[in-house]
Amino acid sequence: MATSFKTFDNRDSVVTRNLLHEAIPITGTIVSGTYTNKAGTEYNIKDYSHGMFQSVYDYPYLSSSANHIFDLTMGYSPSSSLSQSLAADYSMQPKKINLYNQMAQVLVGFDENGAVRQFDEDGDLTGGRKIRECYFFNFARLLSKDEIKKGSFSLTLGVNSSYETGSFRQMINITDGSGSTSYKVNSPAGEYGILRASGSSGVWSAGRADPLSGSTPKCGLVYYQAGIAVITASVFVSGGLDGRSPYTAIAGRTTRMRNKVQLTGPPGAAGPHLAPAVLTGSTIDVNCDALRHRIKNVSFNNSTELNSAVYFCRVNNTDFNYSANPTYLKDSKLVVKTNAQDLPVTYVTTVGLYSADNELLAIAKLSEPLKKDPTTEFTLRVRLDY
Amino acid sequence: MGFLDNSGDIILDAVLTDLGRKRLAEGNGSFKIAKFALGDDEIDYGLYDKNNTSGSAYYDINILQTPVLEAFTNNMSSMNSRLMSIARNDLLYLPVIKPNKSGNHTVDATLSTYVVLADQTTVNTMQGPSGEASLAAGQLNGDVAAQGANFIQLDQGLDTSELSANSVLAADLVETQYMIQIDNRLGSIATPATNTNAGETLGFKPTSIDDDNIATYIFTLSDQSEVVNNLLTGNTFSVIDGPQGTSVKFKIAASLDLKTSAYLFNRLGTVATAAQTLQGAGGTDLLGPDAPTATAYKFIDSTVRISGMTTGYTVDLPVRFVKQT
Repeated sequence: MATSFKTFDNRDSVVTRNLLHEAIPITGTIVSGTYTNKAGTEYNIKDYSHGMFQSVYDYPYLSSSANHIFDLTMGYSPSSSLSQSLAADYSMQPKKINLYNQMAQVLVGFDENGAVRQFDEDGDLTGGRKIRECYFFNFARLLSKDEIKKGSFSLTLGVNSSYETGSFRQMINITDGSGSTSYKVNSPAGEYGILRASGSSGVWSAGRADPLSGSTPKCGLVYYQAGIAVITASVFVSGGLDGRSPYTAIAGRTTRMRNKVQLTGPPGAAGPHLAPAVLTGSTIDVNCDALRHRIKNVSFNNSTELNSAVYFCRVNNTDFNYSANPTYLKDSKLVVKTNAQDLPVTYVTTVGLYSADNELLAIAKLSEPLKKDPTTEFTLRVRLDY
Repeated sequence: MGFLDNSGDIILDAVLTDLGRKRLAEGNGSFKIAKFALGDDEIDYGLYDKNNTSGSAYYDINILQTPVLEAFTNNMSSMNSRLMSIARNDLLYLPVIKPNKSGNHTVDATLSTYVVLADQTTVNTMQGPSGEASLAAGQLNGDVAAQGANFIQLDQGLDTSELSANSVLAADLVETQYMIQIDNRLGSIATPATNTNAGETLGFKPTSIDDDNIATYIFTLSDQSEVVNNLLTGNTFSVIDGPQGTSVKFKIAASLDLKTSAYLFNRLGTVATAAQTLQGAGGTDLLGPDAPTATAYKFIDSTVRISGMTTGYTVDLPVRFVKQT
C-alpha cells in the first residue's frame, strides 16, 4: 500500500521550554536630543492632553516606522510630605497622587485593611523606609517581552543640576546587580528586584569625587514581569540616598531648568529631603522632561519564554523513497531509474505537519535538498514554537 | 585528524499555516498534529542525469544545488507534491492521474478548459432553441448540475505504451480514494449522474472548508457517490495507455453567489474578448462580444485540484465560470 503520510506515536513528540534573551540598549540621545529641532520640539516624545504620562518612541512618533519604547510618569504618595499642602501652585497634585496609588496598587498591592501599600525600598513590607516620591519607567511590551532579565537592568542617570548639557558631569549608575539571586516575590505583579545606585569611578566624571563614597544605597525597584522601574526622586536630592554625601552641585541652591522648572534642594532643610519645587510645582510632563534629559543610558536584557513542541519525524529506510512530483515521471516511468533493480531516490525539501484529517497545519523547510533512498534513514526534528 | 563538520543544524523550525493558526485560535482541540509528510516541491527530477560520465555521484549534482524557498504559510501553496512510501524498491513505473478529454467529458473546443455556466440565463443562451442537448462539449450546467450531460473525468493508471493496457495495475498502486478541492465561493462538486428531468439537488457536503474558502471533498470507491469507479482492464475509452486503475468523475455546480449575483464576476472576473467567444453545439457564436450574434459575458478562472489519497499524485484542472451579462 502506497502512502504519503506517517503517523506520529506518543514517543515522537516532546514539549520543551526555552528562554530567549535579547539585549536592549537605549542610548540617552534617542530619549532626548536626536529628534529635536532648533525650537526644542522633540518629535519622538508624545505628550497627551491629560498630561498623565509621556511616551517615548525610537523615531518621530508620527512615522509608521516609530516604535514605542517606554512611558515616563511620576507621582507621590498621599502620605508624602509633599502632599501635605494643597497650595494653589501645586501643579496636578491629584493626578500625581492618583498615579502613585495606581502604580502602587498594581505593583505592591493592598494591606490587610484594603489600603494601598507604599513602595518599600527593600521589599520588606512590614516596615522600613518607603519610597513615597518616585518616577516610573514603564517599558513597552515590545522591549520587555515576557520579562526583564533579572540582574540585567542598568540606568545611568545624570544628577548634576544643570539641565541642558551639564547634568552628565555627575552621574550615578542604577542597577539590579543582585536581582538574579535575591529578587523578591511578594508583589502581586510578579517578581521584582532592588535597585541600587553607585557612583563608581567608571561612571562618575573624572575629577569629581564619588558622593556615594563607594557605597550602593537602595534607590528603587524594578518589576521584572511588569517591565516597570520605580526610581526614587531622592536620587536628585542632596543627601537623598541614605543620607550619603550631598550632591554639592544641587544642594542648597536653585538651578534653573528649561521651562523654568527648578530643581532645588530643600530650603534650609537638613538631612534627606526631596526637591519639592519640581515635583510639586511642575506638571508631570515637565517632570518627565527633566528626568528624560538626565538619562545617559538605559539597558537591560529581556526574556521571552518559548514553549516548543519538537516532533521527531522518523524516516525509515523503506519510507518516502518515491515521489508524486510531476517531474518524477516521464510516461509514468521513474526518471531516476533505468531498470527495476535501481534503487529509487527522492529529495526532501519540506516537512509538513498534518492533522488527523490531512489538514496541513505547519510547515518546515530544509536549507537544501536532502537525498533519500532505501539505504538511508534519518530523523528530522521539527520544532514548533508557541 | 580533523574534526567533522558539525555546523549543520538538524532542528528545523516550523511555521504555522494560516489554517493551523485558525485551528489554534478556535481553541476546540482541532489543532492536533497527528502525522507528517515530506515534500519536494522545488525539485525538478528532470535534472537527474543518469548518463553523467563522471559517475553516479554526479547524477544528482544539479538537484542537490537547488535553492529551497522559505515556507509559505498558505496551506494550499505548500506540499503540492509529496513523497510516498511503497514497500517495494523495484517499481519502475508509477501511476498518474490524467484528464480524460473525450466524449462528453472533454474541454471546451475554443478555450481548452472546462466551462461552468453559472446561471439559468447563461445556460439557456448556450442551449439555444434545442434545449439541454445542445450544450457544447466542455460546457457544464452549473445552474442545475444534474441536468447537464457533460462532466469531468480523470483516469488513473500507468500511462505508458511500454506496458499493455490489459495488464493489471498492482493493487497497492490503485487509487481508491480521491480528494477534490474547489473554491467554495465559486462552486461545489456534484454527482456525475445525469437526469434531464431532475430539479436541483443538494450536492455533496465538503469534508472541510479552510480559511481560504477552499472546500475539500473526499470520495471513495465504495461510497456510492458514483464519483470513483474502477476502470475495466483493457478499457479503450481511457486515456491511460497502460494498466488502468480507477477513474474519478464529477460535475461542478455554481455557487449561490455566482447564480444570483454578479458581484464576484465584477470583482474577480474578466470581460470576455472576441477570442474567448463561446459557441453552441452547432458552432454558432452565442456568448462573446460579437453582438448581435453573441451576448457579452464575464468569466472567472479558477482551478479544481484532484489528488489521489494513496499516491498523493495531484492534478490541477483549469475551470472557467461564465455568466452572461
